[in-house]
Amino acid sequence: MEYFERFAIPHPSPAIYASMVAIGLTVIAIIVGLTYFKKWGYLWREWLTTVDHKRIGIMYLISALLMLFRGGADAIMMRAQMAVPDNTLLDAQHYNEIFTTHGTVMIIFMAMPFIMAFMNYIVPLQIGARDVAFPRLNALSFWLFFMGAMLLNISFVIGGSPDAGWTNYFPLANNEFSQSVGTNYYLFALQISGLGTLITGINMIVTILKMRAPGMTLMKMPMFTWSSLVANVIIVFAFPVLTVALTMGTFDRLFATNFFTTSDGGMDMLWANFFWVWGHPEVYILILPAFGIYSEIISTFSGRNLYGYKSMVGSMVIISFLSFLVWTHHFFTMGQGALTNSIFSITTMAIAVPTGVKIFNWLFTLWKGKIVFTTPMLYSMLFIPTFTIGGVTGVMLGMSAADYQYHNTMFLVAHFHMVIIPGVVFAMLAGLHYYWPKMFGFMLNEKIGKWTAWIIAVSTLLAFMPMFVSGLDGQARRMYTYSASTGFGLWNMISFIGAIGLTIGFILIVYNVIYSIRYSPRNVGSDPWDARTLEWATPSPVPYYNFAKVPHVISTEALWDAKYHQHELFPEPYEKIHMPNNSGVPFILGCIFFAWGFSFVFGMWIPTILTTIGIFICMAHRSLEKDPGHYVPVEKVKATESKLRGSQL
Amino acid sequence: MKIDQSLPLEYSTQQNQLNILGFWVFIGAEIMLFGTLFAGYFVLVDRTGNGPTGAEIFEITPVLFETFILLTSSFTIGLGIHAMRKGYTKAMIWFYVLTLVLGVVFIGFEVYEFMHYIHVGASLQTSAFTAALLTTLGTHGAHVTFGVFWGMFIVYQLIQRGLTPETANKSFIFSLYWHFLDVVWIFIFSFIYLKGMV
Amino acid sequence: MSDLFPMKQVMGFGVSIILTIIAACVYFFNLSFPITMTILLVTAFIQAGLQLVVFMHAGETNDKPAIYTNIYYGLIIALVTIFGTLLCMIWGYI
Repeated sequence: MEYFERFAIPHPSPAIYASMVAIGLTVIAIIVGLTYFKKWGYLWREWLTTVDHKRIGIMYLISALLMLFRGGADAIMMRAQMAVPDNTLLDAQHYNEIFTTHGTVMIIFMAMPFIMAFMNYIVPLQIGARDVAFPRLNALSFWLFFMGAMLLNISFVIGGSPDAGWTNYFPLANNEFSQSVGTNYYLFALQISGLGTLITGINMIVTILKMRAPGMTLMKMPMFTWSSLVANVIIVFAFPVLTVALTMGTFDRLFATNFFTTSDGGMDMLWANFFWVWGHPEVYILILPAFGIYSEIISTFSGRNLYGYKSMVGSMVIISFLSFLVWTHHFFTMGQGALTNSIFSITTMAIAVPTGVKIFNWLFTLWKGKIVFTTPMLYSMLFIPTFTIGGVTGVMLGMSAADYQYHNTMFLVAHFHMVIIPGVVFAMLAGLHYYWPKMFGFMLNEKIGKWTAWIIAVSTLLAFMPMFVSGLDGQARRMYTYSASTGFGLWNMISFIGAIGLTIGFILIVYNVIYSIRYSPRNVGSDPWDARTLEWATPSPVPYYNFAKVPHVISTEALWDAKYHQHELFPEPYEKIHMPNNSGVPFILGCIFFAWGFSFVFGMWIPTILTTIGIFICMAHRSLEKDPGHYVPVEKVKATESKLRGSQL
Repeated sequence: MKIDQSLPLEYSTQQNQLNILGFWVFIGAEIMLFGTLFAGYFVLVDRTGNGPTGAEIFEITPVLFETFILLTSSFTIGLGIHAMRKGYTKAMIWFYVLTLVLGVVFIGFEVYEFMHYIHVGASLQTSAFTAALLTTLGTHGAHVTFGVFWGMFIVYQLIQRGLTPETANKSFIFSLYWHFLDVVWIFIFSFIYLKGMV
Repeated sequence: MSDLFPMKQVMGFGVSIILTIIAACVYFFNLSFPITMTILLVTAFIQAGLQLVVFMHAGETNDKPAIYTNIYYGLIIALVTIFGTLLCMIWGYI
């Protein structure tokens, strides 16, 4: 029995026991449901073993939405605890655990898979490709991400949650101060999902560079594809830094090394340094694809081509480079001299310039456009002003001398939420509404969608604007309570109301999905928005081979040319199509990685060795396997096409 | 699978070209991985705590041996690729086997080196410096070890299947990996050992 | 036999051996720190370039621009990380 005591939770509470029961019941319900409806085979054949970039994209999307609610539950608990002074809803330890998992889940397991969902689904369609460059690796990326996410999420029922903040600063995260296995979970969950992200990065770069349709030169790529390319370049060069930092942290915790300790020469600040060498580019990994989605939407619903295409591309390339030059601004107060801080202050302010260029490009795209206010467009319009508030407060924080005032206050918390929620979350929701008909063949309800957009936007302001005030007034972040005499009570109550509003908004999105599944008309055709780019030139939902014939492209707006300028998009005859075979190995390898991480978390060395061997066996299998893929014959392509096109024409 | 006869075998299909470019991008990520390890090492190099410094534990002889062995193995695998392009499958396999043997000898030297460090009181836990040193060297050593096993699978496939677009592609990518490890070693040799011993 | 040992690669190997010996000189001769570092930097980067061009065939296909951009980008970012880290943690730290 003693062996199993390590799996107990160090700080149990009724809420955690309730979640244990809830998790147990959900798992049983899923198993019973799948068995009752005889869906195991379907699940395995169509989803778990799929290498289709569209299905993988949808799985990313579902995971992201689930994690949004996991992270959102954390957020509402935090806001509830802070709503009134001297609240006792949560104790300090639970508050620590909750803000840690909130940050980690939202960045790594909500925002990342959300952008991965769109990159996976849309990029190959936008460039006219049949799949990504390495479909098998793409499946592996997803399963590594998914297993990493699951590993972090079981932490709060087995062994204890991480509690050192999503930045996991050492020496707080050392064994001495974080005694539960929570931080181990953090380290391995990020390591495993980070590996998946790196693989996606390589995959997408090669896909975009080598698999574009004939005629699509680099400067004729749609903007979302460009933003994905740049984001993936950043991924490839930023994630190895995280890998190294996590490895060093793991060694400190499991093998008693002295990288980030405060004795024997260890240097705790080095963690902060490496974390942000990865962490700042990570911000741009999230925001650039979001900008790409806004560019597509704003251009479509203004009825105009995107203003300043070249400056858009140029500013993203500059951002990709500058994003690696600013990381010190996350720890101006750590003790560097004035010269160092000044250098990084200047680079930080420099990066605001290309971002500003993009804002002006969107505004000029709107100028004299025939604007159609659909839900995605509404999100985009709400994004510009709210994001600008987040952006300019970022420039305030970027001034190193002034930062001593703002550092670690709620002002900072307000800033990054005002950047990430309008910047990334609005973009993802806009993208969800915009690409929903492409993915599923029907539209989300516009009326509910617009209500939701307004509720979310107003609630965002309500939740985070008060933090600017209380932060300037001196409210520190990550404090689990405060006394009434501080006067923070009012501001935090307003924030709590905003948080409730956001909760209602996100529930409305789920309601909208359910409502639209039941009531939305199904015959929306392949191009319901009168859009401009190639992904709308193939039927919705998209056939598994994407394009029956290889498209030919002459500008950034291939479909617009075809619709209004007599461009012939598909001049080639039907040919047999080469497609990759499905494989169960990525899923199995993902499961082994999960077991590997779990064994490491608890320092169980025999399972660790066995699972490591399992990983190598999977790799050896891949090396020896012959996997030529298969061909779809012309007749089958023709039959599928006439069925899909016939029903809509 | 369309095979383009005008290109070398390893580039002859679309998938082969994708694989090679993908591996180059992966090498870009590896540059960053080792760059970060170097950054950590340079920060921690003088933070020796109660442990020994680099100058006290480094030995020039095994390091020079390791360097020449790895340089030679890089040369032999280059010859292997040359032989592959000329179509001399047998010579190519021998060059690959020779490369792997040199790799094993290199690992042998490195194991000796690590035992020496532990013997003189510079283990992983001794100080920040030793942790950074052994992690950086260990990461490179782990790459070489992985490479030896990977190479064995490739030699096996070359013997079993002969030179096909697939095996040629795998062999070429493996050669890229091996050369890259040599490049990393050059930097380790110059900026960890030589700089540390001066 | 000469078919198996192309001049270019034999020369490349010879040069890399010579560069290694030059680098190793800093150990055997007592040189000042700046000269030591200069020698090490020059020999290391020439050797790396040699591997890239002679042995890794970096420039032989249409992907040449992509490959070189990728390597230079990685190199620059790695150097920025190394020197930026040193700036924050050691040189610029009070």
